[in-house]
Amino acid sequence: MKLNINIKGKKKIIEINEEEGKVKIKIGKKEFSFKNNNYKKEGISVARTNIPKNKFSKKEIKAPIAGTITKIFVKEQQAFKKNQKIVSLSAMKMENEIVSDFQGTVKSILVKEGQKVKEGEILVILK
Amino acid sequence: MLLKKYKSVNSTSTIAKKMDYEPWTVIWAEEQTLGRGQKSNGWFSPKGGLYFSIVLPKSTIEDLQTLTILASFVTAKIIKENFKIEPFIKLPNDIFINQKKVGGILTENIIGQDVKFSIMGIGLDTNIEKFPKELENIATSLKIETGKQVDNEKILKQIVQEIKNQLKIISE
Repeated sequence: MKLNINIKGKKKIIEINEEEGKVKIKIGKKEFSFKNNNYKKEGISVARTNIPKNKFSKKEIKAPIAGTITKIFVKEQQAFKKNQKIVSLSAMKMENEIVSDFQGTVKSILVKEGQKVKEGEILVILK
Repeated sequence: MLLKKYKSVNSTSTIAKKMDYEPWTVIWAEEQTLGRGQKSNGWFSPKGGLYFSIVLPKSTIEDLQTLTILASFVTAKIIKENFKIEPFIKLPNDIFINQKKVGGILTENIIGQDVKFSIMGIGLDTNIEKFPKELENIATSLKIETGKQVDNEKILKQIVQEIKNQLKIISE
């Protein structure tokens, strides 16, 4: 790769070349060589195969599977008890009642009844 | 199998959800006043039909999807074996005879940090002789199709036992 840049008013040609494990930068007649830490011998980028599981955090309720919100049992600012029904999600012809694991207050509801949601989507924020 | 029989309940799955029952407890009712189908649809549940809910053992959601399909398959198998008719399974959870719905399965999961427990409700139109006008073209019963009286308890026990058997086979 060649770049034309101005350094202190003078035009310089910078040449950058990547070779096995090294990056060579040529400025005019001077050449610098660096070790490329990101270099992988086979040149295969590693894909993330392990998608992290969507666990419920204490502050938000996420959709455990993709589906449709059938019922919202709480309102914003409403206090709720442990094991209280929060939302119902219909997915794969199953009804999934999502209940609270602790007591608290509903901060905000991000979905509406009848809305389609993706797996892991935040449905309700709690406090 | 612990079988609890009621004359009339709102919904067998509602009863099963409220109590802390052991897995494989079966709640059976002669009629349901608020029988449920999927997405808050009702399930017509007069006397004569077979309505029961099974408290399932702890499982993951992926397993439960398989279990719903398994229950449809088992229900269709028991119908076929007892009445020599060929039911059609509309995957994953409905059973049809002659293009009319005869049974349905509704699995309900209670989810907190993970799946706390699951209830599988099965409704089968066994001895229903007449359906209301709005259902008569889309629903049927085993009695209408075969002309024979169905022994609800026998069918219930066969279905639950066969679900257990099949579950054992696929978990091995």
